[in-house]
Amino acid sequence: MTMKLDARGEICPYPMMKAVEAMRALPDGEVLEVYTDHPPCLETIPTQAERLGFDTAIEETGSPEWRITLTRKKVPKTYDTGLPTG
Amino acid sequence: MEAWSRQTGHELLQSMEEEGVYIFHFRRGGDNLTTAGRIIPRSPAPRLAWQPILALLVFAGSMTVAVWASQIGSDLSVFWLMGMAFGFVLQRSRFCFASGFRDLFLLRDGRVMKGIIAGMAVATVGFTLVMSDMLPNARLDVVAYQAHVSPLALGLVVGGLVFGLGMVLAGGCVSGSIYRMAEGYLGSWVTFVGIMTGLVVVGHTWNWWWRMDIGIAPRLWLPNLAGYGSAMAATLVALVGVYIFILWWESRGGLVVPHRPATESPADTFGDKLRQSYRAVFVHGWPATTGGLVLGALNVYLYSYEHPWRITGEISIWGNALAARIGLAQPPLLGIETLTGCTMSGSHGGLLNHMTMSTLGLFTGALVAALLAQEYKLRVPRKKVRYFQSLGGGILMGYGAGLAVGCTVGAFFSAVPSLAANGWIFAIALAGGAFLGTKALRWLP
Repeated sequence: MTMKLDARGEICPYPMMKAVEAMRALPDGEVLEVYTDHPPCLETIPTQAERLGFDTAIEETGSPEWRITLTRKKVPKTYDTGLPTG
Repeated sequence: MEAWSRQTGHELLQSMEEEGVYIFHFRRGGDNLTTAGRIIPRSPAPRLAWQPILALLVFAGSMTVAVWASQIGSDLSVFWLMGMAFGFVLQRSRFCFASGFRDLFLLRDGRVMKGIIAGMAVATVGFTLVMSDMLPNARLDVVAYQAHVSPLALGLVVGGLVFGLGMVLAGGCVSGSIYRMAEGYLGSWVTFVGIMTGLVVVGHTWNWWWRMDIGIAPRLWLPNLAGYGSAMAATLVALVGVYIFILWWESRGGLVVPHRPATESPADTFGDKLRQSYRAVFVHGWPATTGGLVLGALNVYLYSYEHPWRITGEISIWGNALAARIGLAQPPLLGIETLTGCTMSGSHGGLLNHMTMSTLGLFTGALVAALLAQEYKLRVPRKKVRYFQSLGGGILMGYGAGLAVGCTVGAFFSAVPSLAANGWIFAIALAGGAFLGTKALRWLP
């Protein structure tokens, strides 16, 4: 399951604050996608994600919009993906 | 992976390998999901090709302005081009004084503040050389021409607190708002209107402040006390001290992810290498420290033309010219001619002057940078309350900048390297205001 957070149109520090709120509330095994059009978030969200134990993947989805995918670092054993857990 | 997707009901759409990391794309119930171990390189995904073309047109237009300005004379074109350089660097490094202060409290992250400190260190050495060239004997009771030395008044502290609060509410300081205006942030245009309004309001209360406080406050230019060498050394030691303090402060908040240069596929041919170098400068964001260092160096160059970087003095002239039209012209400001820096009479009084050119250039340079990076977008705030934040934050910043004789640029980024004590006091007050701002943010939706 993927939770989506559409933070487009919001500027600093709101996308980061909302992403942190969502990461804290995210049920195990779910993935959070943050959509933003505010470039500074590409610096602030990864730091907060790292502190909360999430991996970050950033993709450009348009001009200029990004999807930041936040995945919990510890993949539960039943979901043995064989991926490096970073 | 198949087992996983069977278990969760995700349909595996695509998998690929990039730099040894598998990236899987899944879909379930309309939700797309991507999973990967690390940052996926920014792909040359759907981009708007018209933006770089428009960038070249704006650039060509700006060069026409430069030629025109050089014919009007007295270095106007230098200030236009320097302003463009400032705007370009601010946009490329996403340099934001507001986040420099705010993120210390909100995130315990000193990434931007470390960039600001690096820039001020470079400028401190450069400014000292420029000032000692203009005024070889600093022990006389005079201050080097155009050094940003202002009274150590209560107004400086109040101005810093009010400005710091305003910049956090508005999500950007004065320079930040101007380059975001160029990037298409509608809220920043509202902020700019607020800044102008605040500067007009403070103009109407200035004479009270001058009589009660600012006019009787002492000024302290460090070289008057100890000469250039000691003043520069003390400033550099203090900057290093603050840098170390920030490292400690960050370490209490947990790890900080360093700026990751955007990964590109391995470059083989000359064309690839050229393309990657181009993207490193013109497309990907620069680290904050790179931005700070370049801004510091540009500031030294500007001071060698007798005007350290400053913004709000000129905005107050524009604001007052507009206010005068509706019968709200400010009274003659007491003592303003005894001040240097971002005074509300501006650098040379008139509407068209050096710093007007540099401020308009800042907007234009940022516009060129945003278009080249294809980062221009009309961004409309999602919530109505953001408009009030932008306007209110702008008014607070305008009022604070009037009292403190400058914004984060003139009263801080140009004042600390001027070896002026007021730069440090303003910085502490700004930090206090930014702290109040982070508290205020929690009350807002």
